[in-house]
Amino acid sequence: MNVETYLVQLGPELILLLGACAVLVVGATKASHGIASISPAVSLFVVALALLATLRLGVPDGTVAPPGLWLTSLTFYTRLIALGVGLLIVLVNWHQPVARERGEYLSMILFSLLGVLLTASANDLLVLFFAVELVSIPTYVLIALSREDGRASEAAVKYFFLGAMAAAILAYGLSFLYGAAGTTTLHVLGDGAVRSTLAFGSSMGGTALVGLLLVFAGLAFKIAAVPLHVYAADVYEGAASPVTGLLGFVPKLAGFIALVKIFGACQWELPVAVNWMVWVVAAVTMTTGNVLGLLQTNVKRMLAYSSIAHTGYMLIALMVGPVAGQGPMRDGVAALLFYVAVYGVMNLGAFAALAAFKVSGRAVETLDELAGIASRAPLAAFALVVCVFSLMGIPPFAGFLGKVYVFSSAFSLDQSHAFRGPLIALAVIGVVNSAIAAAYYLRIAATAYMRKRTDEVLPTGGSPIRWGLALCSVLMLVLFAWPRGLANEARNATVVLHGSIRPVDARLTMSIDDTLERQVQATGSNPADSGFRLPGSEQTVEQMTTTTPVASRALKPTTHSDQP
Amino acid sequence: MDSWILTLVIFWPLAGALLLLIPRRGDDVAVRNGALFVSVFGFVLTVAAVVQFNRETAGGVSADGFALAAHVPWIVSGDQESATVDIAYRVGVDAISIWLLALTALLSPLAVWSSFTAIRTRVREYYILLLLLQVGLLGVFCARDLLLFYVFFEFTLIPLFFLIGIWGGSERRRAANKFFIYTLAGSVLTFAGIIYVACFAYGATGGTLTLNLATLTELGQGGDIPANVQWWLFLAFAAGFAIKVPLFPFHTWLPLAHTEAPTAGSVILAGVLLKLGTYGFCRLSIPILPDASFELAPVVAVVAIIGIIYTALAAWVQKDVKKLVAYSSVSHLGFCMLGLFSLKVAGVSGGVLYMVNHGLSTGALFLVIGCIYERYHTRNIDEFGGLARKMPWLAFFLVFFTLSSIGLPGLNGFVGEFLVLLGAATSAGTRDGLAPGPLGYGYVIPAALGIILSAVYMLWMCQRVLFGPLKEPPDTPDTSTGLTQDLTRREITILAPIALCCVVLGVYPAPVLNQFEVAIRQNILRSPASMMHTEIGPPDQGFFDVGVESSVSKQTLSTEFDAVVATGPGSRPALNDDPPSVSTVTTARLDGRNTPFETDASMATDSSATDVIGFNGGSGYER
Repeated sequence: MNVETYLVQLGPELILLLGACAVLVVGATKASHGIASISPAVSLFVVALALLATLRLGVPDGTVAPPGLWLTSLTFYTRLIALGVGLLIVLVNWHQPVARERGEYLSMILFSLLGVLLTASANDLLVLFFAVELVSIPTYVLIALSREDGRASEAAVKYFFLGAMAAAILAYGLSFLYGAAGTTTLHVLGDGAVRSTLAFGSSMGGTALVGLLLVFAGLAFKIAAVPLHVYAADVYEGAASPVTGLLGFVPKLAGFIALVKIFGACQWELPVAVNWMVWVVAAVTMTTGNVLGLLQTNVKRMLAYSSIAHTGYMLIALMVGPVAGQGPMRDGVAALLFYVAVYGVMNLGAFAALAAFKVSGRAVETLDELAGIASRAPLAAFALVVCVFSLMGIPPFAGFLGKVYVFSSAFSLDQSHAFRGPLIALAVIGVVNSAIAAAYYLRIAATAYMRKRTDEVLPTGGSPIRWGLALCSVLMLVLFAWPRGLANEARNATVVLHGSIRPVDARLTMSIDDTLERQVQATGSNPADSGFRLPGSEQTVEQMTTTTPVASRALKPTTHSDQP
Repeated sequence: MDSWILTLVIFWPLAGALLLLIPRRGDDVAVRNGALFVSVFGFVLTVAAVVQFNRETAGGVSADGFALAAHVPWIVSGDQESATVDIAYRVGVDAISIWLLALTALLSPLAVWSSFTAIRTRVREYYILLLLLQVGLLGVFCARDLLLFYVFFEFTLIPLFFLIGIWGGSERRRAANKFFIYTLAGSVLTFAGIIYVACFAYGATGGTLTLNLATLTELGQGGDIPANVQWWLFLAFAAGFAIKVPLFPFHTWLPLAHTEAPTAGSVILAGVLLKLGTYGFCRLSIPILPDASFELAPVVAVVAIIGIIYTALAAWVQKDVKKLVAYSSVSHLGFCMLGLFSLKVAGVSGGVLYMVNHGLSTGALFLVIGCIYERYHTRNIDEFGGLARKMPWLAFFLVFFTLSSIGLPGLNGFVGEFLVLLGAATSAGTRDGLAPGPLGYGYVIPAALGIILSAVYMLWMCQRVLFGPLKEPPDTPDTSTGLTQDLTRREITILAPIALCCVVLGVYPAPVLNQFEVAIRQNILRSPASMMHTEIGPPDQGFFDVGVESSVSKQTLSTEFDAVVATGPGSRPALNDDPPSVSTVTTARLDGRNTPFETDASMATDSSATDVIGFNGGSGYER
């Protein structure tokens, strides 16, 4: 592979990078406001261009691996949803900070999205770390810039310090993993086969175990899982609503993708201790989120706790892991990927609705300020209620299907699966939690529609935020009626993970042979670390030579023929 | 072949709701008339569906007993020929569904029309929500895919939540919240159960994750679901459905919701929404989980009986007339559950008929109470008296529907009640060609006490409201909105069709019951044939045939159905005019003085008589 190929294949990332710089420059031209005010349009164009490039490039065939990266179907899916939701995020943030800061602000959004994209491609512990931090660092700036308010600065500082601590934990954990694996590479690509460097299986030693626990802890901060969730409510409350919509999605997506990457490198053969830890974290996260959500009167805090609760649901799917060839109904990771996309949209929609009007000169935040808003702004209130019911997981909205996918992935585990019972119990805890959550989501809907309002409500944010809001709520209905497109992509995204833990079915095997042939013909060079050294005992070597098909492209036909 | 009529029936109100967005702001008249037009047209469509259903099923029912089917893939994964996930928009109706569908479509325009004077604020939103509620209710009865069923089942919560919460009484927000959270809390467990079923089907069908009700019913009836799995699933399903029914002790949300809801909301809630619970038991729990249903039936029956008695007593002491009817509703649905869980043809068809009857008479009672409330702005029984003097029409309807509700022979309530008790009493027998059911006489006696109680409190309510010296709250009746002292022509026109249906179903329920039996034998109850894998013989014995032993030992059962109930002196061929099935049907007449038990005993001793109980409304009871 030559450099040109890499540059072409990394098109979306490069477009975002250059675009972010361009927006920064455009925004810095303070002399003429005419130019500065076009920065939102430029950002939207950049994201759209990157999305277009993603679609043009199609699903990477798994043979392109620039140094430290590996482009797979997971990359494609992440690009798709990060950039797709990214468009909505830019729309919602169109008018956010004062005009002269808009360039910096929007470029930070683009950098953050770039971080997500790189996380999905990372094939090296260090790159993964940098990518995850590239997601987080711009968000600190975003929060601080989002409004001229002491609370925003306070939120930014809080988020920054805690984030820095989480980054340190993550880095520390990654160093343990490096110690255990002897390499920073996650997957070593050979001729048609992949070795996952962390696949120790049952022989995982203490070093790797500590590494995994620490990495999980570090990433738990990004996804706002208990006990590293405490920042969420304060930060969400402090930041302006459009940024909060972003905070619920971008770091969470990056955190989960990073977890998928790490667990994938372990081939999902997690030690019992890790399984139980994640189990407890998931159970406590959703329960804490929902119970504390009940106590809130500030809608943004409420949605912050809802965000925590949703992390709990998604952790269920993460624990289930990938299962070959079944789509999100059975494949936990596919369900997770579907859910996080849907969650991103509905959460953004809810915050966009809050950002779309002003009551007595300030943004809507508490339930009292939201009271009876339906009589003044019927469409925005309707969109808000759609997003809220979707968050609740009530049909006919996409959030319901997200729940169907996540919970069914847990129920569909094979009888032989060692962790089946606890996971089913966890799913039951999950459904009970979604009933608890209904109580506070309902309060939002009830407040907006059932209380009287006498004072005026001013619309703010102009038409872009309205468009963003409308698109979010329409998407909830569309994805409910027609989930197949996104679900199939989510399913494809996990193809790279399949061979690692479950026996592949016949069709899959055929496709793998196909791929092998193709790769032999192509005599693709091996971009992976050739100096790779196997540490540990003989047994470890055996464990590590488990092969994974590099088969995403080859599998494409079998999965895309889903015609009605 | 796909039929579009059901899809049209289900989604027409949705289209209609969108049409209601057209009139200008403030043009309430156009919105009202538009809503009425939409719901009436929806009723016409449903009638068309019923006609088409009857035509399709006239020459023998399709293989799985469902007509007017349509199928659109929804959540699909894998190749078309080897789909691993197959969840679809599947609709189809059998006799049970179609009549509940018809009930819903009948009540819808009446509910809309009854709101013309009562609803004066946020008119457009109100009718849109009412129509959206229809979509959910109609969808539930048509769904042939479990996930689709759940989607419609849950969706009904949203419009009703707003209907209660915005247009309800003084405690509307609390009532709306309680209603929503209470029912959701139960149905999330149903949701877990449904997902588990899907995953179970994946293993049982050899690799297709399906929620097709036909497949699931086949699995359940074929005994492919292990007993312990059935138990768990039964409990999970029951969690949602029992709250919806509502079964004692999960009924506490209902009186509050009913009291606070606007009249149309109460009508739909009592008339149709509660049926979602019983329909769920009937359509899902009993066919898919036959073993667990059989084993747990006594528990359900006991709970139902406790509910019947307890809520009847509770109704007795209510001061709020709406609350009284709400409690009576809970009590009556206990009978419905008792019938369903007798697991016999008589009991289940009684239970299903009870759903329709209860929808008609309780719905109508709420309408009548709505009329009173609109005039007097109170529902407190102590504040009225002697209204019959001033409002003869109202008195007529109130008495009429009260009598229908307490099961006066000749009106619809009696038929359902009788069949339910008959089914429960003869549950242990095998006269209908099915395996012995779980219940028996012991369950009937306390339940019959409930009937007496029901007569007591309902008639007492009538007496206090309608008769005695005239008593009205001060400054009433309020006729400021164009109402008259007695019922207006509009109100009479709303109530009259329901009354007519009550009479028709009371006098001549045979056609409906015949269709029910076919559906029940095919889709609800496990036939001995499917258990013992023997061929189904030609129908040569009737359902109430006394030659019990012979009919069972010969492994025959009347799939074609002879006649549960025929009318008048001439016997009536069952489902259609198919001559062969007529031959075995002769007529037996019920003596009006007979209690259900005596009837059963007399039939058991009369070995020459075949089936047939006469409900000819007139002569049979006058002696």
